[in-house]
Amino acid sequence: MKKRPTIYLPLIFGILIAVMPACSKKALQSGSDAQTFQEPTTKSGITRGGNREGTRGGGGVSPNFPDTAFSGGENSNSLRGIDRDPSEERLNGDADGDGGFGGNGGSGNNRDRLMAKSDPGAATRQMAEIRSEQLASAAAGLRDVFFTYDSFSITEEGRHALSTNAEWIKSNPNTQLKIEGHCDERGTSAYNLVLGEKRAKAVRNYLVELGVAPNHLSVVSYGKERPFCTEHTEACYSQNRRGHLVVRIGE
Amino acid sequence: MTFRTVLMAGVCASLGLVWIIESGAADVFLEATRSEFQKIPLGVVGIDNVGGPESPEGRAKLGSRIEDVLKADVRRSLVFSLVDLAPLKIKASHPGAEPDPSFKHATENGVSVIVWGRAGLKADTKPPDVNMDGYVYDAGSDEVVGGKRYAGSTSVIRLMAHRFADELVFRYTGEPGIARTKIAYVSQQGTARELFVMDYDGFESRQVTADGFLNLMPHWSPDRRFLVFTAYRNRNTQEIDMIELATGKRWTLVSQGGLNITPALSPDGHFLAYSSSHEGNAELYRLDTRTKAVHRLTTNAGGDLSPSWAPSGREMVFASDRSGGPQLFLMSADGSNVRRLTFDGDYNAAPAWSPRGNWIAYVCRTPKKEYKLCLITPDGQKRRQLTAGPGVDDSPSWSPDGRHLVFSSTADGKSQIYMINADGKDLERITFTGTHNSAPTWSPAS
Repeated sequence: MKKRPTIYLPLIFGILIAVMPACSKKALQSGSDAQTFQEPTTKSGITRGGNREGTRGGGGVSPNFPDTAFSGGENSNSLRGIDRDPSEERLNGDADGDGGFGGNGGSGNNRDRLMAKSDPGAATRQMAEIRSEQLASAAAGLRDVFFTYDSFSITEEGRHALSTNAEWIKSNPNTQLKIEGHCDERGTSAYNLVLGEKRAKAVRNYLVELGVAPNHLSVVSYGKERPFCTEHTEACYSQNRRGHLVVRIGE
Repeated sequence: MTFRTVLMAGVCASLGLVWIIESGAADVFLEATRSEFQKIPLGVVGIDNVGGPESPEGRAKLGSRIEDVLKADVRRSLVFSLVDLAPLKIKASHPGAEPDPSFKHATENGVSVIVWGRAGLKADTKPPDVNMDGYVYDAGSDEVVGGKRYAGSTSVIRLMAHRFADELVFRYTGEPGIARTKIAYVSQQGTARELFVMDYDGFESRQVTADGFLNLMPHWSPDRRFLVFTAYRNRNTQEIDMIELATGKRWTLVSQGGLNITPALSPDGHFLAYSSSHEGNAELYRLDTRTKAVHRLTTNAGGDLSPSWAPSGREMVFASDRSGGPQLFLMSADGSNVRRLTFDGDYNAAPAWSPRGNWIAYVCRTPKKEYKLCLITPDGQKRRQLTAGPGVDDSPSWSPDGRHLVFSSTADGKSQIYMINADGKDLERITFTGTHNSAPTWSPAS
């Protein structure tokens, strides 16, 4: 009798090993049952990727960007400990990776390199396009739609405004309209982007109900990131809770 | 039921139990913020000025500038308590020599660690170099245990203090410290919002993007090389971009139409979780950064956003308005096992899982309809409000040591960036310029 446990030990280990994969599989399956779970949708090769200008058209997931896996371990920037007889450590600031800006050469001051290599005219062009969009939208007499706090339902007043807008769009069939969803500063930046999209889509859906062709309309959410005013008052908040209609200029 | 099935079920159950215990243990670490944690009393005698020529940087101020940064780092470490040595009349020891007799007086008054140093400009280099030596006396062993010698240009003076502070934390805790960490954030530039990176204490800010429109919600890669963020192409389309900080090189990772927001790389960097509305409403997706395969994680009529990974990488917390106002939910990294975490209040969003695993910070709407920071344990058992008063608080992000949070608030009018301890103490504003600074995210430690 005394010998039995030692005989069973390898047996139990064997069963453990045999059963372990079954356990993990079980766990995964039962987990998936908790929620209707979709098959993985894989998208690739839609964009050319590699750099920012590479993505065009329908969009998707870039097939080509560098590995973000964390290799861990030592780097040139690791702490070396307090020494009884310290040798000199030369610090190069961001160039040697102390800012996470490292790993690329390490010569001198890289303040200039740090700036994104963006088209120097990009900001100016953006400004010019925003201005022409504003002018075109004002000339069209497009009316914005305002929302109540936390809400994306179109009010009676909003429906009136959209009826006027729908008539204008139908009589100007060559224009593309952009509906911007905006929010007041209360709430989180991230959730307000979701709320802004709901507002923009509510406006689009109502315009489509009024007979506007959907392919003339696009939506974009700016959340609370492009406010019309910045005071912390209800008067300002109500200005920022809006579906803003813009005649689209440029790409 | 056969013997084998019974045995298998039994073994599965016990293994499962062990696995749960282990996974729980792996996510909870010792917490220096708990009240019984004894901070180590540390005194800084001073950083003296030595040698060298006068310069525009001002030799006389060099030592005291480094000393100020060092003291602030020591105080913020929360590993040490900074003792004022002035009333004790402590004198610095010479390096390599016996501890100064005055040190005895300090240790009698409870000081465990004494730090001092010297700094000077080197005359023979152009532009002039800065040298800094720092020394450490440990009362436990009653000896000068060693020091550090740094050299560099005048632009790395603050970094010398930060590195020395991190070495002190490392010696006494085995952790790298946070003095050399960075904070990425969004700052208003004219009508545009661009990405910036600054030191954890708010100094040395650098502009990262200059598109002239909107770049939002930066998030660090675990190796600190990259930021992932939401960018707007031509004002009309949102995409998730990545930028390499050393080079400014930039990639578009996701541009699927609709919202492409709240990107977050997993702790091992293998997965990018994000929210996209290209299939209707905002849902969570997981992009494998090696195979580039996309896996949809959520399926429901509500908006799902703001994923934040557990330090184990096995779970994430996110916000969803599937049950009305936004609430926090937990799920496994493959989208399974979804369960609601928050039940207090009608608005809980922007979760951030602590790098120690034991807390989740988030924005909660109080009964007075104020947006403040709250903390909740991942099991939902403990919950507390961290900030109070006027202003909208947003975007909490943990320091890599799990002892601090950085967040934005309009408490002083314009949106600015603040730091607070995980226990709600030491609220500190760290940005003072500009009309709008927001969406701070704390870098990992290096």
